[in-house]
Amino acid sequence: MIANPYSVLGVSPNASNDEIKKAYRELSRKYHPDSYVDNPLADLAEEKFKEVQEAYEQIMKDRENGGNSSNSNSSYGPTGSSNNSGTESPELNNVYNYLNSRRYQEALNLLSSIGQRSARWYYYSALANGGAGNNVQAANHAQQAVNMEPNNTEYVRLLNQVQWSGQKYQNTRYNNSGGNFGTGNMCCDLWCADSLCECMGGDLCSCF
Amino acid sequence: MFGYVNVYKPELKMKDFYKYKAYYCGLCKTLKDKYGRFGQMTLSYDMTFLILLLTSLYESDTIQSLDHCVIHPVKKHDTLTNEITEYVADMNIALTYYHLIDDWNDEKNIGGLAGAKVLKKSVNKIIKTYPRQCQKIEECLNRLVECEKRNETEIDIVSRCFGELMSELFVYRIDNWEESLRKIGFFLGKFIYILDAYDDIEKDKKHHSYNPLIARYDTPNYEEDCKKILTMMMADCTIEFEKLPCLQDIDILRNILYDGVWTRFNKINEDRNKEKGTQNDSKSV
Repeated sequence: MIANPYSVLGVSPNASNDEIKKAYRELSRKYHPDSYVDNPLADLAEEKFKEVQEAYEQIMKDRENGGNSSNSNSSYGPTGSSNNSGTESPELNNVYNYLNSRRYQEALNLLSSIGQRSARWYYYSALANGGAGNNVQAANHAQQAVNMEPNNTEYVRLLNQVQWSGQKYQNTRYNNSGGNFGTGNMCCDLWCADSLCECMGGDLCSCF
Repeated sequence: MFGYVNVYKPELKMKDFYKYKAYYCGLCKTLKDKYGRFGQMTLSYDMTFLILLLTSLYESDTIQSLDHCVIHPVKKHDTLTNEITEYVADMNIALTYYHLIDDWNDEKNIGGLAGAKVLKKSVNKIIKTYPRQCQKIEECLNRLVECEKRNETEIDIVSRCFGELMSELFVYRIDNWEESLRKIGFFLGKFIYILDAYDDIEKDKKHHSYNPLIARYDTPNYEEDCKKILTMMMADCTIEFEKLPCLQDIDILRNILYDGVWTRFNKINEDRNKEKGTQNDSKSV
């Protein structure tokens, strides 16, 4: 992890995605190993080149998670620290462990062998399917988990996440038609705020 | 292939539209130069998108030239070609080849077998150069045939065969961008497969052919559900696309991913509604 990836690329944390891409391109061209063949600075340039690459990837990953790396739930791992280990069956505990190590196919295999389908089963199945690229099934099972336990914030959060990506895509589409590409943070932030409000029955922006 | 991944012309700048066309003509010319008239017939818009994407990502040196083409023999056309065009042309031929073999095994389509024979020699060379991609194409198409045989209705399971195939083709090089390219190809492949099923549903129903959407077809929210599913695919596809440092031709790429891919879907719905309208009209008369 780079402490401040933005400073490596020489951009402000408020920079748009396209500005970050531009900075990345310029710097990776500048430090590209091909430009330093037989040059005493080759090692230094290579190190810098790698750092630029790493910084770029880190920023993109952070931004995917809504600009908050501690809230990283895009990789389809279970969120929160509690896995209800006290109340959960040993099989579901094993599923939890597979999910944490991103072994989605094994999680799916194990899930299919469990007869009793609780809300948690559907929640884990949604995560495993999402990780394995079965996004239709993931959405269905996320919905099912929420239907069974509407007050579980973990389940609601997953369902919102699934629905949010579709809405964000639609939103970008409409922005596109206006000739303006708003994949910047302001939009995302508004989104999050709106989703949160909606969770509690309110609505910040009726247009979302 | 299908031609679903195209630009949405009304929203595209003229200069971008001509550039897009030049890439398309470049692929056409490369197919013809490398694989003759038959190779040229395999041309499609879907693969032009892959050229644009990889060219933008790797910023490959591109050659611009003026050429005559079969469709427009008199007027000269701008063509853009580079190493990616060569790669995509090869992948297009391999894909066509395995597809024709499938057709032969499946329906004993003699035209397909003849076509496959014409391509055999070229394909052997492509297999040697790109074993990873070719093995995956063969494996995925076989799995697709299996799914169709057992009448698989789980949309994720069927469509992932084509998703995985595309995913492998999108990985031009094994490097830092592999993971994102894989996901872009995967979800775009699923999108193409599902849209193709959506496009064919009436025909398939009439002929009692396999179609993964048939179970949903008679449900009240069929169109809306399909739109939701397709949107999900493009949402996951574009999340990964936006992570790539693509700047070159970005307006064309976004035009395709956010608007162009819906052109066919909208057209299908329009035609269906028209048909429904005329049916109602005749009833009221």
